[in-house]
Amino acid sequence: MALDKDIYSAFADVVGEENICDDPVMMAAYYKTDFAAVIMPGNTAEVQAVVKLCNKYKLKYRPISCGWTGVFIPGTVMLDLRRMDKIIEIDEKNMYAVCEPYVTSAQLQAELFKRGLNTNIKGSGAQGSALLRGHGPMDQSCGADDRNHLAVEWVTPEGDLVKIGSLGSCDEFFCGDGPGPSLRCLVQSTVPPSCTPGVFTKVATKVYHWPGPERYHLKGNSPNYSLAEKPPYMMLRYYSFPSVDKLMDAEYKLGEAEICFILYGINMAMVSANVTSSNEEQEALFHKIAGEVQGPGFVVILAGNSEKDFEYKKKVLETIIAATGGESLKAVEEEPQIEDTLMRQCTRVSGAIRETFRPGGYFKSIPVMGQRDLTVRWAIGAGEAKKPLIEKGLIVDDGGAFFGWGVEHGHLGKTEIFCAFSPMNPEAWKVVDAWESEEGGRALDENYFALTMSPLDVIDEKTGPKLSNYHLWWYKVLDELDPNGVIPLKGVSKLTP
Amino acid sequence: MIAKQKLTKIVGGANVSDDAATLDAYSKDISFVNKVRPAYVVKPRSADEVRQLVAVANETLTPLVPVSSGAPHMKGDTVPGIGGAIVADLSGMNKIVFVDRPRRVCMVEPGVTFGELVEATKKEGIRLNMPLLPRSTKSVVGSLLDREPVVMPKYQWDISDPIACLEVVFGAGEDFRTGQAAGPGTIEEQWKVGGVQKAPYGPHVATWHRLVQGAQGTMGIVTWASMRCELLPQLEEAFVVGSSDLEPLMEMAAWLIRLRMANECFLLSSTDLASIFAEEWPKDFKRLRAELPPWTLFYVIAGYDYYPEERVSSYLSDTADLAKRLGLDPAKSVGSLSARQIMKAVQQPCPDPYWKLRGRGACEDVMFLSPNDKAKDFYEIMCGLAGKAGYPVSDLGTYIQPMVQGCGCHIEFNLFYDPDNQAEACQVKDLADQATKTLMNAGAFFSRPYGDNARTIMNRDAASVAVLGKLKKVFDPNGIMNPGKLCF
Amino acid sequence: MALEEYAGDYNMCCRCSACKFVPLQMVKGFEHANVCPSISRYNFHFYSGGGRLNLGAEALDKGFNYTPRYLDVIYNCQMCGACDVSCKYGMDMEVLRPIQELRIKAVQDGHAHPALDKVVDRMRKQGTMVAGKGKRGAWAEGLGLTDAATKKVDVLYHVGCLTSYDKDMQKVAKATASVLKKAGVKFGILGDAETCCGGRAYEMGYEADFLAQAKKSMEAIKKTGAKTLVTSCAMCYQTYAVLYERFGLKGDLKVVHSSQLIAELIGNGELKPKNDVDLNVTYHDPCHLGRLGEPWAHWEGTKIPGDRFVFDPPRPYRRGTNGVYEPPRQVLAGLPGVTLTEMDRIKEYAWCSGACGGVTDSNPEFAEWTANERIEEAICTGAEAIATADPWSEKLFAETIAKNDGALKVYDIVELVDQAI
Repeated sequence: MALDKDIYSAFADVVGEENICDDPVMMAAYYKTDFAAVIMPGNTAEVQAVVKLCNKYKLKYRPISCGWTGVFIPGTVMLDLRRMDKIIEIDEKNMYAVCEPYVTSAQLQAELFKRGLNTNIKGSGAQGSALLRGHGPMDQSCGADDRNHLAVEWVTPEGDLVKIGSLGSCDEFFCGDGPGPSLRCLVQSTVPPSCTPGVFTKVATKVYHWPGPERYHLKGNSPNYSLAEKPPYMMLRYYSFPSVDKLMDAEYKLGEAEICFILYGINMAMVSANVTSSNEEQEALFHKIAGEVQGPGFVVILAGNSEKDFEYKKKVLETIIAATGGESLKAVEEEPQIEDTLMRQCTRVSGAIRETFRPGGYFKSIPVMGQRDLTVRWAIGAGEAKKPLIEKGLIVDDGGAFFGWGVEHGHLGKTEIFCAFSPMNPEAWKVVDAWESEEGGRALDENYFALTMSPLDVIDEKTGPKLSNYHLWWYKVLDELDPNGVIPLKGVSKLTP
Repeated sequence: MIAKQKLTKIVGGANVSDDAATLDAYSKDISFVNKVRPAYVVKPRSADEVRQLVAVANETLTPLVPVSSGAPHMKGDTVPGIGGAIVADLSGMNKIVFVDRPRRVCMVEPGVTFGELVEATKKEGIRLNMPLLPRSTKSVVGSLLDREPVVMPKYQWDISDPIACLEVVFGAGEDFRTGQAAGPGTIEEQWKVGGVQKAPYGPHVATWHRLVQGAQGTMGIVTWASMRCELLPQLEEAFVVGSSDLEPLMEMAAWLIRLRMANECFLLSSTDLASIFAEEWPKDFKRLRAELPPWTLFYVIAGYDYYPEERVSSYLSDTADLAKRLGLDPAKSVGSLSARQIMKAVQQPCPDPYWKLRGRGACEDVMFLSPNDKAKDFYEIMCGLAGKAGYPVSDLGTYIQPMVQGCGCHIEFNLFYDPDNQAEACQVKDLADQATKTLMNAGAFFSRPYGDNARTIMNRDAASVAVLGKLKKVFDPNGIMNPGKLCF
Repeated sequence: MALEEYAGDYNMCCRCSACKFVPLQMVKGFEHANVCPSISRYNFHFYSGGGRLNLGAEALDKGFNYTPRYLDVIYNCQMCGACDVSCKYGMDMEVLRPIQELRIKAVQDGHAHPALDKVVDRMRKQGTMVAGKGKRGAWAEGLGLTDAATKKVDVLYHVGCLTSYDKDMQKVAKATASVLKKAGVKFGILGDAETCCGGRAYEMGYEADFLAQAKKSMEAIKKTGAKTLVTSCAMCYQTYAVLYERFGLKGDLKVVHSSQLIAELIGNGELKPKNDVDLNVTYHDPCHLGRLGEPWAHWEGTKIPGDRFVFDPPRPYRRGTNGVYEPPRQVLAGLPGVTLTEMDRIKEYAWCSGACGGVTDSNPEFAEWTANERIEEAICTGAEAIATADPWSEKLFAETIAKNDGALKVYDIVELVDQAI
């Protein structure tokens, strides 16, 4: 859906002709959605100007940074923030880094490693934005969700610039809250169709201590890298447990002991995918090691700040594992390459695609952030519900597994379950969609949790009313922030005309 | 003015006061805010009564001022901003709803004090990350909603910690539960499947509790809060490091926190430390202050369930290396105070009388947030201002609390004075005003604005104020919630 | 494979964006994380490897629509294969080949780029990609080299269009010949009878022309009796070693890049570099010698029905693992006085020089931009020179540096070897 000529010119005046495209043929590369245009602003002022034009012409818009997934409404203006890719500041004294939206986590982490610092990287992979809210392998010790954000530079839906937290009061990025109530209540960053109003143009994110090397020196060629030198005071093991209860017991104990740098609860299908470079290799390894585990398990990486610290952590780890009936996976202990690969993949978060998309070519998942033991209880049922689909050969056989881990040393958690399948198989699509809907519905009906990335009619009629009618408050907030209706959510829900 | 009968019908006659003495007590506090008498003081006993109160307040456009802590109040946020208000005193809602050891979380009503919660959580082997020496009447919920800094920065992953979820009656009249507590299901239904209202984010793309925290009751009234707790250590070793130079102490604190070695970790000036521990005034205070170094860094190293001695030993070894590198000397005592004594004190609320009031009877706090590397600059500015104002620098108390796992610090200058001495009170008020403006201009972040300076502070960030105004329209459309506070 | 046979690959792209960056574990800092010149320059997602696949998936479904922007995307790509390597770190799918098919289809459907048309027309008519005055073999006059057109040889030195005709690049041909002679290798050249390998035409999208030219080239080579073909041109190397193998044209001909041969000769003592070259150098991995130079793996099979993207027999993926990376480095290590400092993006994840894919002809500004990125990366190493094993890269580097009054020197490895012996 091409823009009106005059409107196109107005946008081109802001960003330059080379940074706008409304050729409908090209929109296939942008989520197969018939966007009105893709516009690439280069800085905050251009973002504001573009947003103000959207308000002027009543055009809905959505921003993306690295933009892996998304569901968008046709006719929306896509703000592709690729040109805003600078690391603004790394402040070691105050433990934060400030980035523009298109700084990848890989870049930020690499720069931080040089300084003995680290950032949490979302599980979707280090090619994703450093600003993304979400969960990843390092949640155990590096926080997660929206809790790593500090000050935010935010362009509101109307195009006003609001500097949230200390940034607005004293031009510093170290705090995202105040004065008074925190506007971080509104700005989380999220994946469409969920809608964070406005555009983040800079975000400060907490950084953490990194006891590892300045850089992992690697040898070999893709995809077969290996560490030139194993970092001192770092160790990786995979532990399996005879039952989910024992696993959770160990997970909680390890969290409380505060010894894990990483506790990453991936299943054997994911482990075998992570460390292999083809589906065939994965299948072979899976069949080999799946038999070596006694049940569900997790990866643990210890990272000691000193030799003494490392030895202490190892001792505690062994004690807890023994007390909870855990067993160390021999394949990891005896094949250095597996430990090597997993350590790199988990720290640099470069194995996500192998775990998810490679097996079948596509996957659909239900990720849940929140109280870990509660979501695990739900996930057991969701895993059972996968088994008939596996038996029919419609989804990849992973034993009906789910995965997840404790966050912030077990205070919070993340649980996820997915079905991997071939995108070329319409029947697979159908059954996976049905599974997703049924299991999401069960979570809601049985009071475990609610999926809020559902179609708006489901939110309006079912989910919202069961969640303190948050949707009604959210629509009112959007009404205030978005008088011109430029946020795509509005007009789609019947409650937001 | 609202008819008394309407209120009596909601909370019962015994819980509605309009006698002069009661109204007088709530019309002012230790701060310099103007005295404004409420029309009534009402003590609801349940969330349902709170809901009814908010409904009635909306009907009659009566201002509502929520209070959970007992006196003495010090910041002015619970004194009505305009006349004709109803003070909703929630101190009678003091149930500890649950304490859950496995998930390290508890849920309390607004009237629960720190003393009560410390006891209840201790029984389960956990504890709340507390502020420094809250007064005995201080409400836990009130403190957390104020975003008061907490003494264990290692466990403060986010500035909103340790808050998890809230149940709030918004000024609009509807109630809402934030985070995991939002649903699905009622709280009881959630408990039935094992939910414990722990995850603070959501529902959906907002993190609603952040809107209520720091709002000073201008968005709604909280009827319970859940909060995360930490394990009680099996072994603790407390240390103090004295210095006349703030910077190496700040650096040591930064590394203790960065490497997650210290639990409690904060810095106090000699005046504050002496104020806390002096048993008798003025002699004991002066003696103590004289023997203390200008600055004391306090920290605790702890071991938990697994090999606590080895953990402590390993951290001791690492902290010794750190201290050596910085030219510092951690010790078990400073002056005649033992580190252990300090530790025991700060793991409890402050015994009466509140330490800030013991010496002179009143205290005005100038408090703000700062990047770690600017703390010394701000201190020097404050000393300069105090000197100019004729306020003895030696009487100035300073508390520096590293926060959010090392992302900056809370700085608090305590200006002690005799409230019965008009000249002193004026001097302190003027100094506090001047300090706020000067420090703000120098880059201090007054994230929690109170009193007369709140408007100035808020106006600095006009863009945020504009958005807050829009949110206020949603959550308190009639503007009944604590009008006159912040930018409302 | 025809374009339709890549349907699975087109639809497999999940838009993860890995194709835009070096393999993630190789990101060493903020700088030099990008690996795709096209999206790095033009920023829209559709310029990335994944974006092109998304376009292909849509076109397969809804038909091809050659808008100006679509063609801009098609032709502003060096076909360097970096996206392919980065994607295949995690995925089992083809990326470069389906992208190439889109360009081939554009040409087939009558949407060739006019600048490339001219170049390919020259190849059809004159057997060269490069315009040149005089004869192809003129560079060798007076060198006394064996004429393989008239005398059978075991080893044929294939010079290539650029180093035959371009006055600035003939030094590479001369240096190669000199080194081979000094090493005592008995070789010949076809001289005027040499004809273009056709590789660049394939990259430009002219598959049919490539195949026709390839047949001509192989005929000429067969006539020489050569068992081994040596070349100093990375493009020619990849064409003969990989493309010809892919299309069943290579037969038993052994194809060797001069760096491989020289590394072997130095390794077994047949070549003894003695002179001090005294140079602090960084090495640019040419795409066609490196990741694209990985041997071809023949495969024919079908997808196994079911949940997994697996094939019978297993489909081999060329992931850039086995390109020619070490021999040039071994050569440099064997030269006295040469210090090698690596850039951030090397080997299978090297940044393209900009000279591939016909871009030097279709969009010289983009080619120069790409080269400039690489030159800046080279300068970051502190090296005084950039060495490579591909005359197309060298030419573009040299021209770009000169245009910007830069001081960085440019060498072919074989020139440095010649200096050292």
